[in-house]
Amino acid sequence: MKFLRVDMSTKSVNVEDVPQEYMGLGGRGLTSIMINADVPATCDPLGPENKLIVAPGVLSGTSLVNTSRVSIGAKSPLTGTIKESNAGGTVAAALGHLGITAIIFENQVPDGELYIFRIDENGDASLITAQEYKGMRTYALSEKLLEAYGEKSSVLCIGPAGEQKLTAASIQTTDVDGRPCRAAGRGGLGAVMGSKGLKAIVVDQRGNSTDAIADPEAFKEAAKAFAKAVKDHPFSGQMLPALGTAGLIGPVNSMGAFPSLNATNGVMEGWEKVSGETLAQMIQDRGGKTGHMGCAQCIVHCSNEFVDKAGKYVTSSLEYETIWSMGGMTGIDDLDTIAQLDFLCDDIGVDTMSTGVAVAVAMDAGHKSFGDTEGAVQMVEEIAEGTELGKILGNGPAAVGKHFNHHRVPVAKGQSIAAYDPRAMQGNAVTYATSPMGADHTAGNVIGEYMAQKLDPLKAEGQVEASRNTQIAMASVDCTGLCLLASFALTTPEGGEAFVKAMSAKFGVALGPDDVPAMGIRVLKAEREFNRKAGFTNEDDRLAKFFYEEPLPPHNKVVLISDEEMDSTFDF
Amino acid sequence: MKVKVKLFGILGQRFPGYYHEQGMDVEIPDGARVKDLLAHLEISKSFGGVVAVEGKLLTDAAKLENGAEVNIFQSVFGG
Repeated sequence: MKFLRVDMSTKSVNVEDVPQEYMGLGGRGLTSIMINADVPATCDPLGPENKLIVAPGVLSGTSLVNTSRVSIGAKSPLTGTIKESNAGGTVAAALGHLGITAIIFENQVPDGELYIFRIDENGDASLITAQEYKGMRTYALSEKLLEAYGEKSSVLCIGPAGEQKLTAASIQTTDVDGRPCRAAGRGGLGAVMGSKGLKAIVVDQRGNSTDAIADPEAFKEAAKAFAKAVKDHPFSGQMLPALGTAGLIGPVNSMGAFPSLNATNGVMEGWEKVSGETLAQMIQDRGGKTGHMGCAQCIVHCSNEFVDKAGKYVTSSLEYETIWSMGGMTGIDDLDTIAQLDFLCDDIGVDTMSTGVAVAVAMDAGHKSFGDTEGAVQMVEEIAEGTELGKILGNGPAAVGKHFNHHRVPVAKGQSIAAYDPRAMQGNAVTYATSPMGADHTAGNVIGEYMAQKLDPLKAEGQVEASRNTQIAMASVDCTGLCLLASFALTTPEGGEAFVKAMSAKFGVALGPDDVPAMGIRVLKAEREFNRKAGFTNEDDRLAKFFYEEPLPPHNKVVLISDEEMDSTFDF
Repeated sequence: MKVKVKLFGILGQRFPGYYHEQGMDVEIPDGARVKDLLAHLEISKSFGGVVAVEGKLLTDAAKLENGAEVNIFQSVFGG
């Protein structure tokens, strides 16, 4: 259990034992609690006082399936709030195998300097100058890094967008095939990484100093039971391998909750052309891959490899959220264009969600027409080119809205919503408005409750409670390194029990089901405390004004949750 | 009465020749409810059949109308 503390101004790397107060923490719990403790909340997110913290989950590196999620935390230059963004791929497992609990990047390099941070198979780390990689896009960069440091390396990196410190810049990471197609996309952490003069982090995958497990036999049994629960669950065991997350397009359009044409309609015209079913068929017909494994130790295989008509690789993995932002929001119903835009965003290193919404706002403001495929590609290319408009687009939809003086910008705390309209899913309105992260769907998606018929998505009743419960649950899960898509197995008795047993066996304490939410509450409290110190009040726990004023067809509702109700979300 | 059914997720795989964009016409008794349609199509609860008509999720007890366009998909969670 080690911290690697890296001072970017002195270029020193210090190895520390994990201090007592951070024992048992990992992932988002670790990054948020540490950011709240050590980062002045009013600091400039792109300045020397911000810290960039990379932390695998407490279960990353163990044999438990689907635990290779890495959390990256900082103060966000996009929202000004605390931020945790997580990504899959292989790096969390690699860090876990090296017994590294967190890497903390502090201070700043002098202007113009650029570095790679490399950790070898013994866990020895160093900063290496990286001038030759300046301006490089992520695919070319990853190829060169894997050549230089070996195929058994995991890469975290920024593209030109992060180097330009644009606030929608992502941190990309390599998947099982070595492609930088996985992303810690939300909140502009790529800009923070760029502000620290860090182009890439390269971690050797051959570590064998995973933290000891207190009761290895009990852990092994629990892990087996959990894996079974993941496979038995129809969503993670059948739907996701067959269709990927794109399988959500049918259901969410069927509910009238798919924000389309810059969130002016809840149904996308022609959504069947971009549905998960159509995507899977197209990929299979062309010889691409569905049921693809993108992340280490994954048994869900939700990823895909999209190919063009000639069978040539275009992008991986094409997700629900990207099809929404680049298709639903922009009116582009052509999967080939959407796939190309997905690749471009990964290569340039920008959040596909924020970028699609930024393009949609520009279209809604009249800069281009909805559905203009060439116009959309041109706009995204401009981000890499660093043109005046490119910089605005790369700073996300709020920046675009300001530039065009447009009244319809679908954000909360400056970050765009996700592929669930708050007016047709009132519980998600609560999450978007109240999450310490800004409008964030993985922070607490209530869709499961609607599907199970436990709650009416179009009424205010019960939404605050549902959002609160799922925000707490997700904050807990985000500490463990467990993938969201495998976490639904936790809702079954077998899966829930197995997971608590695995955590108990790992730490050598008898944990009960109540201990899981307790962790989430602790994390949320730390995050809200940071935001308060940063100057945020209840007034900021609201959605953009138009959500309260413009009814969304076909159900024609506005956000119905009152301010008082929103403010009661964190009554703990 | 007849309803036009579209199956999503992997539900379509159980019906040979089913093409997801086309859908299929299903004959059910007048006054049939959602649960009757699901039973007719042998889509069990554990498989997570969720039904929507005209943008609204329907309960098992909801009545279906002649000519309704019914989307049936598997229960999903968010991502």
